[in-house]
Amino acid sequence: MASEKPSKAKKQKTAPTTVAEFTILPLTLPALPGLPDAYADAKHYLYVKQHEPKHSTPGHDRSLFIANVPIDASETGIRALFAEQLGGSRVERVEFDSAIPALTAHKRFQDASDAKAEGKEKRGKKRKRDADVVAEGVVEDEESALPRIWSSELRKGGSGAVVVFVDRKSMRGALKEVQRAVKEGREIVWKGGEGLGVERYKSHLTLRYPPPAVLQTSVNAYLTQFTALENKRNKIRKHARSEPDEEGFITVVRGGGRNVRLEDAEKKKAELEERRKKNGIKDDFYRFQNRERRKEEELRLRKGFERDRKRVLEMRERRGRVVPES
Amino acid sequence: MAPLAVKRRKLSHDDESDNSEGSFAEQHTNESGSSDESLAENGAADGEGSMDQAAEHSDADSSSDDGPVATEDKESNLSANKRTAAPKVADEAKLQKRRDPQLQDGVYTAETFKSNVFKLQVDELLEQVKPKYGKKEAPAENAMRTLKSLIERLPSRAPLSVNEAEESLKAIGVAIPFPSPRPPKDAKYKLQYERPSSINATGSYPLRTATRTDGELAIDLVVTMPKAIFQEKDYLNHRYFYKRAYYLACLAAGIKNSKEHDFRLSFDCLNGNQLQPIIVVRPSGDGRPADFSPSKCRIHILLALPEGTFSEIKLLPKANCVRPKESGGDGASKFLPPTPFYNSSVQSDATITAYLKLLHAASGKCDAFKDACTLGRIWLRQRGFGSRLRKGGFGNFEWAAIMALLLQPNPGAGTPPLSPGYSSYQLFKATLQFLARHDLSKKPFAFQARDATFPRAKACPMFFDGPRGLNLLFKMTSWSYVRLQLEAKVAVEALGNSTFDQFDATFILKTNLLRYCYDATLELPLSGFGFDPANEDYDASLDETCYRIYSTLVRALTDRVTVVTFSLPDSSDWSISSPRPFERQQKRILVNMATDPANANRTVDHGPAAENKQEAASFRKFWGDKAELRRFKDGSILESVVWTTKNTTAPVLEQIVLYILRRHIGTPVADKAKFMSDTFASLVPSGRIQGQSGVSGFTPVMNALAVVEKDIRNLEGLPLQIRHIRAADAQLRYSSVELPQSAPASVVLRFEGSARWPDDLCAIQRTKIAFLLKLTELLPAAQSGYVTRVGLENASQPSQNQAYIDITTPSAFTFRLRIHHDREATLLERQLKDKCLDAQSRESAAAGLALYKRDFFRIPSHTQTMQTLCTRYPALSPAIRLTKRWFASHLLSPHFAPELIELLVVRTFLQPHPWAVPSCATTGFLRTLAWISRWDWRHVPLIVDFSSAASSDPPESASTGPKGMKFQDVEQIQLRFEAWRRIDPAMNRVVLFAATSMDTDGNTWTDKGTPEKVVAARMTALATAATKAVRAADDRLLSSQDGEDFGDDSTFSPQSLFVSQAQDYDFVIQLSPKYATTERKNLQPRYKNVEIQKAIGDWQNSGTELARLFVEDLQNVYGDAILFFYDAESLDRIAGLFNPVVTGQRAWKVKAGWNSLPFKSRDEKRSEVIGEKEGRGMDIQVNKGAICNEMRRLGGDLISRIDVKR
Repeated sequence: MASEKPSKAKKQKTAPTTVAEFTILPLTLPALPGLPDAYADAKHYLYVKQHEPKHSTPGHDRSLFIANVPIDASETGIRALFAEQLGGSRVERVEFDSAIPALTAHKRFQDASDAKAEGKEKRGKKRKRDADVVAEGVVEDEESALPRIWSSELRKGGSGAVVVFVDRKSMRGALKEVQRAVKEGREIVWKGGEGLGVERYKSHLTLRYPPPAVLQTSVNAYLTQFTALENKRNKIRKHARSEPDEEGFITVVRGGGRNVRLEDAEKKKAELEERRKKNGIKDDFYRFQNRERRKEEELRLRKGFERDRKRVLEMRERRGRVVPES
Repeated sequence: MAPLAVKRRKLSHDDESDNSEGSFAEQHTNESGSSDESLAENGAADGEGSMDQAAEHSDADSSSDDGPVATEDKESNLSANKRTAAPKVADEAKLQKRRDPQLQDGVYTAETFKSNVFKLQVDELLEQVKPKYGKKEAPAENAMRTLKSLIERLPSRAPLSVNEAEESLKAIGVAIPFPSPRPPKDAKYKLQYERPSSINATGSYPLRTATRTDGELAIDLVVTMPKAIFQEKDYLNHRYFYKRAYYLACLAAGIKNSKEHDFRLSFDCLNGNQLQPIIVVRPSGDGRPADFSPSKCRIHILLALPEGTFSEIKLLPKANCVRPKESGGDGASKFLPPTPFYNSSVQSDATITAYLKLLHAASGKCDAFKDACTLGRIWLRQRGFGSRLRKGGFGNFEWAAIMALLLQPNPGAGTPPLSPGYSSYQLFKATLQFLARHDLSKKPFAFQARDATFPRAKACPMFFDGPRGLNLLFKMTSWSYVRLQLEAKVAVEALGNSTFDQFDATFILKTNLLRYCYDATLELPLSGFGFDPANEDYDASLDETCYRIYSTLVRALTDRVTVVTFSLPDSSDWSISSPRPFERQQKRILVNMATDPANANRTVDHGPAAENKQEAASFRKFWGDKAELRRFKDGSILESVVWTTKNTTAPVLEQIVLYILRRHIGTPVADKAKFMSDTFASLVPSGRIQGQSGVSGFTPVMNALAVVEKDIRNLEGLPLQIRHIRAADAQLRYSSVELPQSAPASVVLRFEGSARWPDDLCAIQRTKIAFLLKLTELLPAAQSGYVTRVGLENASQPSQNQAYIDITTPSAFTFRLRIHHDREATLLERQLKDKCLDAQSRESAAAGLALYKRDFFRIPSHTQTMQTLCTRYPALSPAIRLTKRWFASHLLSPHFAPELIELLVVRTFLQPHPWAVPSCATTGFLRTLAWISRWDWRHVPLIVDFSSAASSDPPESASTGPKGMKFQDVEQIQLRFEAWRRIDPAMNRVVLFAATSMDTDGNTWTDKGTPEKVVAARMTALATAATKAVRAADDRLLSSQDGEDFGDDSTFSPQSLFVSQAQDYDFVIQLSPKYATTERKNLQPRYKNVEIQKAIGDWQNSGTELARLFVEDLQNVYGDAILFFYDAESLDRIAGLFNPVVTGQRAWKVKAGWNSLPFKSRDEKRSEVIGEKEGRGMDIQVNKGAICNEMRRLGGDLISRIDVKR
């Protein structure tokens, strides 16, 4: 650290302003007690550029991409940053790369997820239900979702966000403002998230034990939706059952015959195999079988010896000589 | 030259075998380079080849060797013996080879050598420890020749009276090393020196069984005194020893006066036996031709008595050879007590050559004899045994001689225990078995001496060699014999274990370390006894007192202890110009005890019944005021002794020992005595074993769980029947550092199978919530006093367990109950194989399955196993908790699954070799640390065989009965381990590999880098440092035993192993004391029922819980970029380390995955390579300042300050 200090001072003098297509926006951090003096004037660096996704998404042409967002960044925080300190551009919404606690991860079918990649990944509850049939469970809505157990979200360190502005002009204005601020060396202050610290954890301790009534309602709603969706899924399965694939085979899927289950078939197969083995010719019936077995046994022993020898050699290489401890 | 040749013939024989050994070595190196078959042939081929060549070489030598060593006299006994023996053995070997061709093949060595790996390691070990008999040893051999010719030239001295003799030698600066008691001044006999009848090398060096392990090699040169100087009755009353002492002094004087060398001379006692002084010759170190310091050895000059000087019958162990002083004329009629030690000392001088012959013959007859001797030497040395009286009196010579005798037929005793066809390992093991099986102190072993009778004094062991008339074990004490037997038993048990290799336990580990081997140590300063070291009876009375202490302690402690052994300070050699120095009274005796945990802390000792007058009187006499008559529950009235555990911190053992010392040995001894036992136990609450159990502190929580289970089972109105409720928490397997108080303990509930569950993972979770809600409704209604709440977890993983219920009992314990539904596993496995699912979903299914297996199978079954083991081994629970505290206090606990730490400790108990199963927290903990420090986890998996515990209950049957885990299972695990290392050589996913007989996966507790490589390395480093500190403390204790004073430093503080060093971390977050827990200070277990609400509030609102959530957040936010270290129990600070692998400085990248600080890179070349598009000339490093600020914002008031390294 000692060697780093002077170099750091130098860095701040020649702080880079751009990298690749990104503008580097330094943020001044709140001064808090208890921090080491060396870090009193530490800055946070945002990398900002126009959003250019590979596949076009709704609103991508009026969005900015920000890399390395602070861990306590929230939609309100970013909105306030642009509104109050970067020219007052109006933000429609902010889409973050990551969230803690993470978004609900549903299991999906392969083609369904391909198709969905086009649509922007979003909160499950906002999505229309029939658009995608998840592989299991249901995508919860307000009613069927479990009560939230955290008061606010956090971001992973070094993650990114897409800020969607109300229109293209606002986006352009915001980017210009960022570039200007960097050029002028204007101080932009990061205020930090709200409801952190003791408050956050105390609230979690309460939230994680939701009232039984609330919980019961949510479970009921979920199971109702689940039954509905399960019917839909069964239809898809039925479809898969009746349709041969390119090689002409019909995939065996769950729910075919009422009574025949895949596992049962497998079990039966194993049983048959077992019986076949039992009734087959014994291993030591012919002389050649004995001979071969002996040979195999010898080979096995020899191989074992070779392996052991190699192990001991390796051991010697690692540990040096075998000498009694003194 | 000519006159000397006759006497050199035995040396010449040695040189001859030199050459044969040379060929041995050559062959060896040849073979190790060649293919595997030839390597395996070693055993047979070596013997054969070397023997043949030995015979040839001896001819060649006589013509070519022009040195001072000539071989004119070929009628020499030994070489003649050898000549006839050699071809015979060779023939035998050939025969055997033809008979059994498989023996040549290496792959079959498993039968004669335990396993291939074992054999290969033994080969390697033997090669390492044997002196090379080459350049290095040459100067020493030269020196021996010099000494020999010098002694031969010494002139005879006329007979002198004792006084005259002393005066005459004093004049040339040599004090005669008379044994005590000193010869009377008015002795009528004369002391005399005449030319010796022969001079030979003897002992292990010429036999080629010497080992070079402690640096200095001792070579014995034996000088046989001429018969003429002794008279028939000289064996009586020390007269022989006085003459011997004078003879030795004359030799010393002669050597000292010689001008051709500069040897340093001193006197010592042969094996510490003051009757038999010897001369120790050390190199001058001046670099002159006679200097042999490069050989790193010393030469001992021993004296031998020519055979047949005294009548053997007079020297049998039962005879008396030291007549009492006062016995005048009527002495003949009185009974004279036998003097076995004295007799054997005389006899041992008379049989030096006879034993050399015996051993030579044995090594000629049996190919593997020498190697087996070497193995025995190493084994003894690692256990601290030696021929010296104070080291136990059982050393290399005794080992070799016993083996040689056991090879010979003993009429009337069936087939000999050893056979010449055995491999060295078989010889070694069979000898150990002999030692372990026969209690020679109760049933003497007589070799070819069927009608010999033996005195039954002091319960000394007896291995009587008839032809040579010597009890080979005459130097042993009762305690050293008990210890030898025990060590042999442990070793036999270890070697009988076919599952694991045990090579290290048998030969490599040093086992006689006080703190690993024993549970309690009693220090007795010599000054406490008040003996005058100048007194003639000093040695005798000290021995007598030790024996008295021993027998008193053994009687007082009964089955509380398994071993009581004395460690006496050893004496060292002294200058030849001064008399034998007196023993310094600052020295201390250490009495070491190994305890039986089930009995050691018993508070009541039952004596004989009151009616049994005689025994009762003896009991009362022994215990004094402590004895009291008591009536017991079963109606019996017994003499008994009661010890208290209240109002005292002294364990029962200490109370007994000190009391009994005071009563039977003396108050000053007891006052100066220092008792230490289980010194680490006080570091965890309830760490000492109380009564018979090490788990008494956990009884309340276990009882509470039983009640909860009963109440839940009795509930009416649950839609499904309950199959079982299983514990799944460290608190419920006696393994939590703190005694359970209010933190929730996990349990798993499983309902009977039902088809009404939905067939969908997510829906199953909701159904579970419905069940839990039902439980919260029913339980408090059915039984008052319960408080129940349903809690949520894993919010973002709808197919993992999402809910639990916290049940707080009236006794203020909280149980966290989760529902286990077996269909989940099937569904997850199906998803894993389902090709319709996208990759991400399948990965999540795999993770879910691993979690499911861990939480619902592995942890409950691990918990169950640990419950059984902890009740079986009383010291296990405290040892685990102590070890966990150690991990926690070094802030390592977040990186190690508690189950993994438990396995580490369990290994110490289930594979305790080379020691017995630990019987207190301290030994269990220290041995675990020592093992961790040795554990080469990069290349060696941890394998715990739970099944070995099941069968090892009666130790005898265990050695014969089938043992759970097979060698093949271990092999299987080994292969799996090797596969992991091949897949993941950088050890990013699995670093430690820990498998058990129940769970052969090996990564259950260590998957996904728990711990990471750096953390595992830190564990090893810390364990090594701790082990070193303990070893150093042991060494200090031993040196303080020799009277060296270390002042206050000598007290070793157990706490010192638990102090963590913060300077190794990049930053340390100090948490505000307002939120830090105070739990640790409150070590008193709480049995009282307290208000339940308060109990809930206790752990919920305690800062620890908030801090724990904070640290979880930190881990989620920073992922693998920062490693966090903290003590999960106290959580007063969080230390962090920027992961250098992840957060190293690098070229700019938009998604580095961590908070970055951009700056212009100086390294232009690299940026050119990267090109334009990626940030040119721009580097990033981790933005430590901003991260500290982030953490500070996140933690808010929880944090009092953040300290940064330097």
